[in-house]
Amino acid sequence: MIGLLAAAGPVIPNYGGGASTCARANKTFCMDWFRANWSDVFVPALGQHVKLTLIAVVIGFVISSALALIAHRYGWAETTITVISGTLYTIPSLALFQLLVPVTGLSVLTVEIALVSYTLLILFRNMLAGLRGVPEDVRDAARGMGLTDRQVLWRVELPLALPAVIAGLRIATVTVISLATVAAFIVDEGLGGPILRAIQSEVFKTELLAAGALTIALALVADALLVLVQRFLTPWYAAGRSR
Amino acid sequence: MRSRWLAVATALTLSTALAACGSSNDKSSSSASTATTASLPGKGKPAVTLGDKNFTEQYVLGELYAQALRAKGFTVKVKSNIGSSEITDKALTSHQIDFYPEYTGVITTELAKMSDQPASAQDTYDKAKAFESKRGYAVLDKTPFFDADGLAVEPAYAKKYKLVDVGDLKNVPGKFRFGAPPENKTRYQGVVGMQKAYGLKNIDFKPLTIGLQYKALDTGKIDVAAVFTTDAQLAGGKLTVLKDTKGIFGYQNVAPVVNKKVLAAEGPAFTATLNAVSAKLTNAAMQSMNSAVDLDKQKPAVVAQKFLQANGLL
Amino acid sequence: MSTFFDAFGFFFHHLSLFGSKTVEHLELSFAAIAISIVIAIPLGVWLGHIHRGSFIAINLSNVGRALPSLAIIAFGIAFLGLGFFPTMIALVLLAAPIMLTNAYVAVDGVDRDAVDAARGMGMTPTEVLLRVELPLALPLTFAGIRTSAVYVIATATLAAVVGGGGLGEIIVNQASYGAEGVTAGAIAVALLALFAELAFAALQRKVTPKGLRTRENLQRADGPSAFTPGT
Repeated sequence: MIGLLAAAGPVIPNYGGGASTCARANKTFCMDWFRANWSDVFVPALGQHVKLTLIAVVIGFVISSALALIAHRYGWAETTITVISGTLYTIPSLALFQLLVPVTGLSVLTVEIALVSYTLLILFRNMLAGLRGVPEDVRDAARGMGLTDRQVLWRVELPLALPAVIAGLRIATVTVISLATVAAFIVDEGLGGPILRAIQSEVFKTELLAAGALTIALALVADALLVLVQRFLTPWYAAGRSR
Repeated sequence: MRSRWLAVATALTLSTALAACGSSNDKSSSSASTATTASLPGKGKPAVTLGDKNFTEQYVLGELYAQALRAKGFTVKVKSNIGSSEITDKALTSHQIDFYPEYTGVITTELAKMSDQPASAQDTYDKAKAFESKRGYAVLDKTPFFDADGLAVEPAYAKKYKLVDVGDLKNVPGKFRFGAPPENKTRYQGVVGMQKAYGLKNIDFKPLTIGLQYKALDTGKIDVAAVFTTDAQLAGGKLTVLKDTKGIFGYQNVAPVVNKKVLAAEGPAFTATLNAVSAKLTNAAMQSMNSAVDLDKQKPAVVAQKFLQANGLL
Repeated sequence: MSTFFDAFGFFFHHLSLFGSKTVEHLELSFAAIAISIVIAIPLGVWLGHIHRGSFIAINLSNVGRALPSLAIIAFGIAFLGLGFFPTMIALVLLAAPIMLTNAYVAVDGVDRDAVDAARGMGMTPTEVLLRVELPLALPLTFAGIRTSAVYVIATATLAAVVGGGGLGEIIVNQASYGAEGVTAGAIAVALLALFAELAFAALQRKVTPKGLRTRENLQRADGPSAFTPGT
């Protein structure tokens, strides 16, 4: 029977040379703690967050593109798609995650399914609006030049729809980055992990602020990158008209 | 125009690859060990997934067990911060995790729903072991330390209403605000026990995420907080912990609950490693680690590593 | 799958629980929405009227969208303590930017011809604002309020994590309520958000001046900040 008085009582070491008084007092932001824990806590979380976002946005983009092309060709599909994606969109994220858990478990899959659902409405609507926004005379001119329907789509409609598509991508990406923090309730991945753990340690301000700020920064950087992508791909389009 | 698309597509692919590589904090990598790999008993054994619940002590326990196993060559993946016992147990039974550290009293009272309270720590352990065994899970050696739930109040509040025992809470006029993790609402080791065993009818239950109760108590948002007896915040006696004379909070040593099939597949060294770690976990040891994490804001992984190293388990 | 059927059973057995949680949820939400309206709408309308501050007003909603709701709510309790008030402030912080941007774009974008005509008729700037700009700006402004309101109701689910009550309390407590309870809670809050969306949409149609109730305008009136999802 192992007891407290066992001969081999444990050695209790000193846990941290740099136990910080700032962190102990839970001051607003402790730079030393942040620096010490940057690579252990925040870098992996950031990487996971980027991964979660990329997967969700790429898959969402693929699905929405297909849906938009379908609705572009078969107008009647639009309402159905809008209603379904709109409904998914309105479900609060925590609720959607929990609804999926009995089906797909406490896994990244659950998180991704939910995140992808949130991108559908935005991307679908923007893409469709972009395609529809192509002036009829431009299409006619293209057809007049002998282009087939498919060529019209790829060489004329899609490039012209690009600004709207990217506007949608911007919104979807920022949205997913923000929502992916709630994923921490399901799997310990992404910047939501440090946020949740900060809440659980008496609302540890440094960790909370750092994780929160990183999430916001990530969103703004992603948004800016997409603006650059748009300018790069559609130099003819005045970047000022961003929506 | 084509070239621009190509450029963007390439950039996207590269960044996805980068993100995938960058996020390999993948906790399933084996730790660097100075022992020759050929002699490590864990090499070649199937990977296991360890789960831990949603509070500091559990994160530390998870890291202690995982790191000790990795030092012996096992491949351990950690799923951290899963949730309460009920949820973590479900993760176990649905094979999302292979083992996790659980409190013996929680197994008997909340998971097994036994109505007879076990009479001692050993009795609790034996009953827990029997229950889990029937379900296909082995319960390994228990730790020396125990961490039971407790009810804490501010000393001034205790003085005002003459609170020494949990049952004294009936002295409080009107209702008292009881802040606890949500699952306490339906637990015998929570509201249910307080009502049944102590006859308290004046509980105003305020569910709070674990970790917020001390703040809520300090700022007067709740009157009574559910605490863990090994919490760092209780050291120093700033708060008064009410006596649990009716023993509703039970005996709560920790023991790893492991899927029997997994245990068989991993071999005897697996069990031996876990037991060796458990043997070192006294109350003092656990409290020191909890303190390092909760008060000094050290990371559980670092704290666990230092403890294991100091005790020759790494 | 059986969880879904059990969920309905759970709901009907716990009507009072759902009732009280819904009330808590709506109290928090409406307080936040009301305060956001008071802060954001006048400011947005005024900026739009004087055609100033476009950079801030438009990018505010971008930044607003980038704010992770869980973190903001946590900031609330970190710096303002636990309780109703800090959580409500956090929700205001998340809702106000949307309303402000929409109000700004709405008033700023009112057809210049209409404004000129009004001035030509001798109206003072205030009269122009009240009798021409505001009515014309109403659809888009209201769209902002609607998007905001639904966003707040959805985000208030997270209040439970910080002891703020509401339907989220059921969702985070699988231990007590079981998978069927969590499912029921999730469905309840989803329905609440959907219901709010439909209610506000109907309200929006009502407040849109008859002359503007064209299909085009109602669609367009989803506005620049339309896409802020349930959180």
